[in-house]
Order: sequence, then structure tokens, then C-alpha cells
Amino acid sequence: MDREFIRNFSIIAHIDHGKSTLADRLLEVTGALTQREMMEQVLDSMDLERERGITIKAHAVRLNYKADDGKMYQLNLIDTPGHVDFTYEVSRSLQACEGALLVVDASQGVEAQTLANTYLALHHNLDIIPVINKIDLPAAEPERIREQIETVIGLDASDAVLVSAKQGVGIHETLEAIVNLVPPPRGEVDAPLRALIFDSWFDPYRGVITLLRVVDGTIRLGQKIKLWSNNQVFEVEGVGYQAPKATPLNELSCGEVGYLFANIKTVSDAKIGDTITDAANPAAEPLAGFEEIKPMVFAGLYPVESHEHGLLRDALEKLRLNDSAFNFEPENSVALGFGFRCGFLGLLHLEIVQERLEREFNIDLITTAPSVRYRIKTTAGEVLEIDNPTKFPNPSLIEQIDEPIIDATVITREEYLGGILALLEEKRGVQKKFEHIGAGRVMLLYEMPLNEIVLDFYDRLKSASRGYASLDYHLSGFRVSPMVKLDVLVAGEPVDALTLIVHKEVAHERGKMLVERLRKLIPRQMFEVPIQAAIGNKVIARETISAIRKNVIAKCYGGDISRKRKLLEKQKEGKKRMKRVGRVDIPQEAFLAVLRVGTGDGT
Amino acid sequence: MPGVYISFPFCSQKCTYCNFASGVFPAELEARYLRALRAEIADHAWQWAPETLYIGGGTPSNLDPSVLASLPALIPNGPWAEATLEAAPGSIALEKANAWRESGINRVSLGVQSFIEREIRGTGRKHTAQTVAEDVATLRGAGIGSINIDLIAGLAGQTEASWRESLDWIERLAPEHVSVYILEVDENSRLGNEILLGGKRYGASSAPSGDMTADLYEFAVERLAGLGVERYEISNFARPGFESSHNLKYWRFASYVGFGADAHSFDGVMRWQNPESVEQYLRSPRESGTPVNAAEEKFYVGLRLSEGVDLRDGDWAKFEAPIRRFTEEGLLELDGAKLRLTARGVLLSNEVFQEFLL
Repeated sequence: MDREFIRNFSIIAHIDHGKSTLADRLLEVTGALTQREMMEQVLDSMDLERERGITIKAHAVRLNYKADDGKMYQLNLIDTPGHVDFTYEVSRSLQACEGALLVVDASQGVEAQTLANTYLALHHNLDIIPVINKIDLPAAEPERIREQIETVIGLDASDAVLVSAKQGVGIHETLEAIVNLVPPPRGEVDAPLRALIFDSWFDPYRGVITLLRVVDGTIRLGQKIKLWSNNQVFEVEGVGYQAPKATPLNELSCGEVGYLFANIKTVSDAKIGDTITDAANPAAEPLAGFEEIKPMVFAGLYPVESHEHGLLRDALEKLRLNDSAFNFEPENSVALGFGFRCGFLGLLHLEIVQERLEREFNIDLITTAPSVRYRIKTTAGEVLEIDNPTKFPNPSLIEQIDEPIIDATVITREEYLGGILALLEEKRGVQKKFEHIGAGRVMLLYEMPLNEIVLDFYDRLKSASRGYASLDYHLSGFRVSPMVKLDVLVAGEPVDALTLIVHKEVAHERGKMLVERLRKLIPRQMFEVPIQAAIGNKVIARETISAIRKNVIAKCYGGDISRKRKLLEKQKEGKKRMKRVGRVDIPQEAFLAVLRVGTGDGT
Repeated sequence: MPGVYISFPFCSQKCTYCNFASGVFPAELEARYLRALRAEIADHAWQWAPETLYIGGGTPSNLDPSVLASLPALIPNGPWAEATLEAAPGSIALEKANAWRESGINRVSLGVQSFIEREIRGTGRKHTAQTVAEDVATLRGAGIGSINIDLIAGLAGQTEASWRESLDWIERLAPEHVSVYILEVDENSRLGNEILLGGKRYGASSAPSGDMTADLYEFAVERLAGLGVERYEISNFARPGFESSHNLKYWRFASYVGFGADAHSFDGVMRWQNPESVEQYLRSPRESGTPVNAAEEKFYVGLRLSEGVDLRDGDWAKFEAPIRRFTEEGLLELDGAKLRLTARGVLLSNEVFQEFLL
């Protein structure tokens, strides 16, 4: 296809600002999908994505659009993940585009995530078309939002398209804006092949399928290609595009977006951001911006039933086929037995993996408190990277601890400022910027430890702002911090799975909260159970669970033995779902208590 | 020697603590039920001669004495060594008691639950301590030689003082047998459900805590022992020689046959259960049986008795680990080959029994 008639674009939007509805409308109007097919299409995508209203995997859909100028255009819509954990993936998707629709809710306005992704798009020199959506809502204030886009982002929003995706208003105008305002792709048709991988997944029949954007040259069936980062050579077995059904082609040429499969065995071979080139006639330089994705958040995953350890390993391996961003290695906990230490891009990523393991593989899991990776300089001069609290060296051997620091952007309404500033303060944040951005909204820039985000920050932020705060962050470096290891002892036995790394100054308070919470969560046992929080050998907090007094069926049932048995069985089943540590049965929820330990209200 | 149980699940009111299928049903249903019950008994092929009879409920004492008498009349081998009738206090006239006695009844179990008026009203019952005293006198006058009184620990409004008062009444009336039940807090009774929900109906918010109820139970054990009424099963207490020989059959694995809704039977090999609800029972009286698991029942049923179980009979080797653990923890004690619950073990018996399930 003549590049003049190709437009590659993505949609930037905050959760619930209507990205999916707009995308569905674009598909419908261009005839890519009938209404009935749209339902089917929606049903095909991941359950989790629909439930959470987020995009986890990228998609690329080709729309054929006959514009008002009478010409046919090929519009490639690249749908990107919309969450802070997946910034790298977003940036690769944006790199595959020349333009983006910035969708802003006409009543909610610009959010932190929108802002972050817009900056990312500007960084990649994308032309941005502001789209003000949901203008049908009674609370819609398109003029104020237009102003806000101009002040906060610095974009000219005078030509912003006014849309109600729900009612189908402004869809034609949006398509015309894409044709007229997004530049056609550049690139060298005759140069050696360079194509950007912006997503990949595993298909049991085809092996790895990658989504790609051809930047220079052409990619053909049967061509021998090379992946830049690992020098592996594969033969192209299929290329094509999604409309949204897969449509095979013989080649994808310069500027086009589509899919490819080449008998690649694992997604970690087809890394997002990597460059595909011709094996025989390689390009001189790879495309810019490739990075190996590094996990930032770590947690132990354990099966509730220890015999399911093998199942869990198989499930993790299967998930990893489709998600090269997380890694895992075997880990052993005194309390929980055999499990896996897993690294994730962030908390949402952790939750997604956890939920998929439970739903798709039916494994009951215990997840230990998420941790970050500390850099520890020992007195012997070694530098250790530790992401597992139980592996923290003895304090006498530690010279210095560096903890990862992030720059966090929070956008909220003025009325919630009080609670949010207090929260940021409590989480050891340092204010770097405080800016009124119009329409009663404030943008905060804070430097804070990543460690404080991974426990309960999202939930706290949500409740402090009744959901009207958005957060974006990126790693900005490391900072020397006096961190200590907080151990929990149940009936005198240390429970390694409850160990936390905390800042020295909050250790007492956190320890106290943690043991209080555990006292409520651990059921009474047949003996008194002390629960202690300790730093080294020093106990800093203690609670006691008194012994259970009675558990008895003191009633006569006219010879009904089965009823007794049922009750005993039920009780026994309940205990099976707990983890026995020493002599104490600890329920699953207790291990999650550490997650909530920063929450002030204690419930 | 085997026993016979007859179930009559009809009551004039549903008590707040009751988690049985008993209740208030239309009068028309009662007549149909009695017909079905008589038919079930008449159809039974007796392979042995019953030694004990137990007519339970519900409230069988509400039946017209002549109708009631028609039930034992169908059972062979009368008069029986022990024939118990469950009765609600406050409804026992001398003629009625005489008629019971004539039909073979020689033991009456009174569903008193409490002697404290406030507590009794809370359950939905209408009697007073005084009516119970009169009933006991009437029964004695009719020649009923063995009387049981039921008490419940854990009722709404109960305190240590009120519990002591109920036990004072036991001393005064001197029944041969006392049952002390601990209120079962579950969603199947109105009171239990309300306690679980943290509500206030049926006085739920004034119900003693679980720990306090345990104290009340232990207090009763001690007080009754002082009166010569000894615990012989977790919730059953008697003067020596007045233990319920019918109920002992349940715990000693003797055979029994049950007639009526929710009645249970055991023939030494199989257990049967009739449908729980009256309606289902009327449709088809008997459900299929399941074979007994003697090895595990020996413990979770047999250990309820104060005499304990004899480890010499049966296969106990597979339970060696829990036996050792609980004797070490002081919940079980071994006396030669006899294994029994300790005083503490009684209150935690479910914890012990669970480990004897296979």
C-alpha cells in the first residue's frame, strides 16, 4: 500500500474515560465489525481485562476507511495497555505510531496516567489529537476540559473533537481528524528490513505470534529474519493483519502494522521493543529504545496445599510463555514450604498473575508481602541485591542500604488534598512540585520510596480521594535509608513469610499494627498463642490469643451420627485450608495482613 | 438388646434455640403423619425383641393420651425395660400421666431448659419453675420412676447467678437424670443465627459468650456431681443406675430402629436416616442406608461416654498418632486399655474427634 494512505495511531485514555467504547465505534463505522461480531469480539478477550476495564495486552486492528476526500485509507489502531506497571510496553506501542487520540472524559478531565502517557507520546514525536468524550453526560464541561488540556499538557485543543462514543456522536469527525492530522509513516522502502516488535504472545499451534510495525523495507513469507537482541534466525511462516480477524498476506511493507509468526518457541525470544531485520541483509543499526524489562516488585507465591507445588510450577511456566515480564525461581519458606519467588513489573502485574493462577489453573495461593529490591553494601565491601526479606543479612554485617526511589505524580481534586498530603507524608514522600492545574484540580509530584507504594498505597490513595486521584510513577534512583528487618513470631516461632523490611522510624508502629491484626485473624487454638514482632532479638510488640475454651457438640440427636460427622468434617476441612506453622493453624488471610499493615484504621 | 425410637416432630411453638426439623404444622398434616407413622411401624419386620422405647419430638406429650397410646401398642415385647416419653412442662394432668404409665411409659424427659422465667420466655416457652415442680409431682404420683430434666447452657440472658438458681431447682426436684446441653450457635436456629449476625432479637445480645458458656457447663458438672448426679456422657448426667439405657445404645453401638421423620436406625452394619421433613417423609418414608465406619465411630461416638473406649477391641493402630498427641496435650487419658476424654478434653472434644476421621 502507498504509505500516503496509511495512518498508524493509538488511543491514550484514563480507565473509564471511554477508550474501548470509542474503539468499538471506530470498528463499527468502518465496517470492521458488525454489532453482533463486536459482542463476540469482546467475549473473546481476557476475562480480567473486561472485569477491570483495563487493557493488559496490546492489540492492533486495521480499519479500512473511505475518507471525505474519496480515497481509501488504511488506519491501524494500536490499543495499548493503560497502567503504570506497563509503561515500557506503552512506549513501544507508541513508537509504532505517528499519532494518538488523547481521550479525556468531559466531566473528569486529565488524569495522571493520561498525562504520563501523553508525555510519552510527545516524547516519541506523535501528533496528538485531543478528543473530549462523554459530552452527552449532564456534568460534561467540554470548554473547561479544553482549557485544562491546554494549560496542563500545553496542547492546542481548539480543534479538539467533541465525541459521545456511547451515542455515536463525533465518530466520523474523529476518523477525518486521524486522516488529516496524523502524518503518514516515513521510512525507507528500499532499505534493509527493520521492524519493531510491540507485543507478542504464545499460540499453541503457531508458536509465538508477534505484533510488529515495519519501519524500513518489507517483510515477506519465507524470508529469513534475525532478532537483533539475541541474533536468532527464523523463517517467516506467516504474516498478515487483524481486522480484527486475522487476515493472511504475502508481505507487510514499510509503514504497515501487522502480525508475524516464525516458529519462535518462547515469548522471551521475541522481546517487546526488539528489532527484526533481514538475516542475509541486516540493517546497520537497530531501532532505538530497546530495554530488557526488569521486575520491580517481588513476592513469594506458595500453594495452600503443599502437594500442588508441581502444579504451580507448571502454571507459572505456562503463564511465562505469554508474559516475559515476570520471572520466578524456586524458594523455600519454613512457614509455607516450597514455593516460588516471583518478580513483577508492579502491583497490578502481580495481581494479574495471581488471579490468573487462581482462575485459570485453579490453584489456591498464598502470596507473601510484596517487596522491592534493596542494594546492600556489606562491611566486607560486597554489594548484594536482596528482594526477599528473609535473606536480609545480619544487621552487624550491613554497611549501607540503598532503597529504590520513584517519582510519583498524583492528580486529584483540591477537596481531597488534606488526606492525600498526609498519606504521602506518612509514606515518606518528599514534595517536589505542587501545581493547580485548573478546574479545581491539583498535580503533585513527589519523590518517594517504592517500598511504600507496594504495600497498601493504592487502596489508601483510593479511600483518601474517594477514587478521585490518579497515580503514575517511574523509578528515579536509589537512596540510602535506615531499613530494618521486622520479624513476626507466632507461638515463639519466627514465621518467615510474615517478615517485612521497614524504615527504622516506623518499625514500632508497623510491628504493633501487624500483631494486632494477626491477633484478629488467627483463630483461637487449643493453647495460648503469643504473637510478637521483633527486630533482631528485641521484641517490639506483643499480643496474645487466648486458648479456645470449648468446641463440643453437647446435644443428643436420637442416634443421628451422620450429623455429628458432617460437622466434624466441616471443621477439619476449614483447618486444611490453613497453614500449620509449628503447632499453630494460620489462615490464608493472615499472610495478607502484612499487606494492610500500613493502614491506619486497623480494620 | 436393641431399642426403638419414634419421632413426633410436631410442636405448639418453635423454640428460638431449636435447630431441628421440628415445628408447628397444620393439624391436617398431623393426622396424615400419624397414619404414615403407624403404617411404617406395622410394616416393620421385627428381627429382634425391643428392650427400650423412646418417643421423642417435637412434643409427643401434646398428643391425646389415647392417640399416643396407639403408638407403643404397635411395638412388640412390652412392657419394656425402659420406655421414655419427651414432654413439655406445663401440660401434664394426672389422668394424662396415668394413661402414659398404662401404655408402658416408665420414664419422662421434661424439656425444661431453664427455671428462670425471663430465660424461658426468651425461648418462646410458657412454663414456670412452679409448673415444672407440679409436673414432677404429678409424674411421681402416676408412678413414673425415672424423670429427666433438660437444661441448656448459653441461653439469652443467662448469668452465673441465674444458672445457679436453675441448678438449685434441680437439687430441689431431685430428678434421677439431667441433660445439660450447650446451646449450638449455628444458622439453623433463630437464636443461633441472630447471635452469629450480632443482632438483638431473641435477646441474642444478652447471650453469654462461648467462654462463659463453657464455665457454666463446668459449673453444672461440679454441682451435679455434688448431688450424686454423675456425668456419664458429654451432655448426660444420672444417679448411678438411672442412666438412659436407650441413649446408651447410640454410644455403645447397639442396634436401634427409628420410625417417623428424621428418625435414625442402625443394625450393627448399616445406618439409615428417614427424610428430615414431614412432607418428604409422607412422600417416601425411607432413604437408603450407608455402611457404618466402625473404626472411626468407635472414637468420635464412643469417646463421648465417660467410661471411654476399650482399645483392645478393634483396630486402633492407625490412630496411634492422635492418641499420643492428645494424651500429651492432656485432652485424652489412658487408663490401662481404656481411653477417655479428660475434663478439659470434653469441652474440646470436637478438636479431638476430628483427628479420628479417616
